[in-house]
Amino acid sequence: MTNESGENPIQTEGDIVTCRKLIRNVTSAAGFGMTDVTRIVTAVSELARNVYVHSGSEGVMRWQILDKPGQIGIQLEFEDFGVGIPDINQAVEAGFTTAGSMGMGLSGVKRLMDSMTIKSDVDMGTTVSITKWGRAK
Amino acid sequence: MDENTLSVIKLKNILLVTVPDEPGDDIIHELQTKVLNAIEKYQSKGLILDISNVNILDSFFARTISETTQMVALMGGQTVIAGMQPCVAITATELGLHLGKAISTLDVDRALDIFSDNFKLV
Repeated sequence: MTNESGENPIQTEGDIVTCRKLIRNVTSAAGFGMTDVTRIVTAVSELARNVYVHSGSEGVMRWQILDKPGQIGIQLEFEDFGVGIPDINQAVEAGFTTAGSMGMGLSGVKRLMDSMTIKSDVDMGTTVSITKWGRAK
Repeated sequence: MDENTLSVIKLKNILLVTVPDEPGDDIIHELQTKVLNAIEKYQSKGLILDISNVNILDSFFARTISETTQMVALMGGQTVIAGMQPCVAITATELGLHLGKAISTLDVDRALDIFSDNFKLV
């Protein structure tokens, strides 16, 4: 399962479902358990929707399967070329929203994953990277 | 049933709405108006939202469920969410989601029991 990777555009609302299905297949095939698959797919849904809502039409999701002895992992990157996030700390706080949602997006995704990093430049765009590890079967 | 459509069935005084396994945003948008229009049409007093097929519940879907429950309440109805899968319950809780004033049951049978025992609707 080494060196598996790929990417998928996020340009339409339908791409959110496409990304979810792709990552459900990839993580199931890699050997993640049912609950971890659900956590990862839910994180994908949140982040892909962020990209779609905030960035217009040129977002992309990249994924890569990771492995180290006894473990399987996946790293995902969501890049948009939107307005950027002026205050990343505020954006990760529970309850913060600019889009009229519950504001659970980024703070919730962080709890579902093992790690999350955000790089953002105002007016240039945002890249959110997440990683999840599981026990290899 | 088409794998990606909502099914809306009238059962006496209540509506049984079944959500497909991987609902796209269009289906979720459709849920609200379809449910409210059916409640008006059939004069339903209750709604069972069967999510036993659903394998992902994100904040957008949760917000729609919570809002729909509130709207159904404004129209005089009670909502019961039936059949949430274990992995979805775990993930939704970790993500910090809540479903507003909806009651939850393990499955549709128990949702029907609630409507018959507590609300005398079935």
